[in-house]
Amino acid sequence: MAFILKDEDKNFVLEELKRYESKYSAIIPSLFRIQKKEGWISAEAVSVLSEVMGLPEAHINEVLQFYTMFNKEPVGKLHVQVCTNVSCAMNGGRELAKKICQKYQVKEGAVSQDGMITVTRVECLGACDKAPMMQVNDKYWEDLTQESAIQILEDLKQKVVG
Amino acid sequence: MLKCNINGVDLEVPEGTKLIEAFLKAEQKIAHYCWHPGLSVAGVCRLCMCEIEGNPRLQIACNTEVQEGMVASNQSEKVKETVRWGMDFHLINHPLDCPICDQAGECGLQEQYMEYGQYTPSMAHAKVKKRKVVSLGSKVVLDSERCILCSRCVRFTDEVTKTHELGIFNRGDKSEIGTFHDKPLENKYAVNTVDICPVGALTSKEFRFKQRVWYLKDEKTVCPGCSTGCSVKVYHNQEGLFRVKPEYDAEVNEHWMCDEGRGVFDWVNRQNRQSYSVNAENMEKPSSSELKLILTAQQTVEEYESLFEYLKSSNKKVEVYYWKNNPDKFDDFDNLLIRGDKNPNTKGLLETAVKHDITLNPFSGFDGFESFEGDIWFILPENKAVYPLYEQYVEKALKLENNLTIFAVPKVKVDKTKKNISILPLKTYFEKDGHFLNFNGLKRQLKPGPLQVSSALALNEWVSFVKSDDFGDQVDLLSKRKSEGFRKKNEMTQTGGGL
Repeated sequence: MAFILKDEDKNFVLEELKRYESKYSAIIPSLFRIQKKEGWISAEAVSVLSEVMGLPEAHINEVLQFYTMFNKEPVGKLHVQVCTNVSCAMNGGRELAKKICQKYQVKEGAVSQDGMITVTRVECLGACDKAPMMQVNDKYWEDLTQESAIQILEDLKQKVVG
Repeated sequence: MLKCNINGVDLEVPEGTKLIEAFLKAEQKIAHYCWHPGLSVAGVCRLCMCEIEGNPRLQIACNTEVQEGMVASNQSEKVKETVRWGMDFHLINHPLDCPICDQAGECGLQEQYMEYGQYTPSMAHAKVKKRKVVSLGSKVVLDSERCILCSRCVRFTDEVTKTHELGIFNRGDKSEIGTFHDKPLENKYAVNTVDICPVGALTSKEFRFKQRVWYLKDEKTVCPGCSTGCSVKVYHNQEGLFRVKPEYDAEVNEHWMCDEGRGVFDWVNRQNRQSYSVNAENMEKPSSSELKLILTAQQTVEEYESLFEYLKSSNKKVEVYYWKNNPDKFDDFDNLLIRGDKNPNTKGLLETAVKHDITLNPFSGFDGFESFEGDIWFILPENKAVYPLYEQYVEKALKLENNLTIFAVPKVKVDKTKKNISILPLKTYFEKDGHFLNFNGLKRQLKPGPLQVSSALALNEWVSFVKSDDFGDQVDLLSKRKSEGFRKKNEMTQTGGGL
């Protein structure tokens, strides 16, 4: 599937370029824009971006590969990021991640067969006082139990399908 | 100028000098992987630590400018301890596979390890596995595990070639250098990244596993690949020539050279050479009073000098033809090093011709030669690869009925029953003395390395033979000249181990 940068996104990138002293500063907002539309950032997207921005592919790739919040592989409609850093791990974060994987029969980092869910473990998301927690797409869900987490995901799934 | 003291040595350096340059100027040992004189400062390897008087903390010498009266040293236990630990950090994920690494013997990390290695590693965790033997195009191979992330190669593609292919991807202990999506690294200067790589992470496909570097000697000379005339080092041993690397030359190539120039050594090896003379006795016979001579801009100034002097003094009717390989591309330049004129001494030829009042007629095949009955001297270019019409002209020359003398570096296949043709083997740039004038007239001296073909002579030496009365005896002597001992492949590994 070839990647096509829509005109509105292209204009967004061109506008971002004007905002900063250095072109390099516009890389992160541009990557986020693509991720928001596509769910992930493909190598083709980097090539297209490189052309639009007039920056070398390798330099954009350096930024893309450095930050974990950019998805370098396709993700499901619900991207579930379960924190497994100290506080969450002590309160069952790892087990929670395992449970969700089991429930939706998906390996960590992969997309479930229905294309709905991707589970990844992440480091601290800064909500230690509400451990364990997870982030689904842009939203935090805190003070979870295994049951409540599954319930939340089921509800979200319904919303996406419905 | 600023006065400073480095490890007890007093010296003066210009303003803006980095401390590491002062260390090197004072001939003091200082480890450095990421710093390279031809690139910007990165300050990432943290090994050029030094102690500056009045400064409580150690500083990296590569990113500290010398100040008036600065007293710095890297001899104290404190510095050594820090460097030892820095070294250990570099080795956390380095595989230490020196025995199978092509860089062994000229590796910065290896040298440093001999001095500062902990020998018993204090790392409890397993090493992070990274990619090995990644092909980066036709010239370079990457081994990510060996990389210490000094970023020299990345800075090279950013700052020197400005092609920006390389980058450091991922982060933390998973950081790796690479090209975007493993695209081939095909710029015309790619192998320089191999030269500046302080470890064995980037190796050259051409040279990989051909020779251990400690079995090679090097000879400083001039690259004959084009009219830029980069200063280079040619690495050789008794099996022949193996590689060419750039040598620092502030006026010409600084630290770099092009990849094309690195291939300009294969025709020096004896298996590709005209290694004996054919019908040399022809040169003794009283020959015609007319002579046509075809030459290229690939000989040294000394050779042209003696040739033109001979022509002027010989009372023959002489016409000199100048064979230009690609005149329409002569002025091409890629704004870095590569020039379209693929001859090392065009300037030298033209200047010497003017000096001796020799007219150079353009050579464009043997079309006007049918009615000519006199002698012909044909001096073949040594780098025949840059002469597209080489084969065609040689073939035509061999059909001539004139008394023809061919001076050749590459092998010339000739029917030995044709008594009118004599072939005399020439020396290459690697074997002869003399100098080239590069595109802007800079004189660059060649240094004679070991002879690859024992019966070969430089053009000026042949001319002095022709002038003497006993040409035949000389050639006889020449054929008896001892060549360098031929060695079998890998002989060292068979016999060198005898303790």
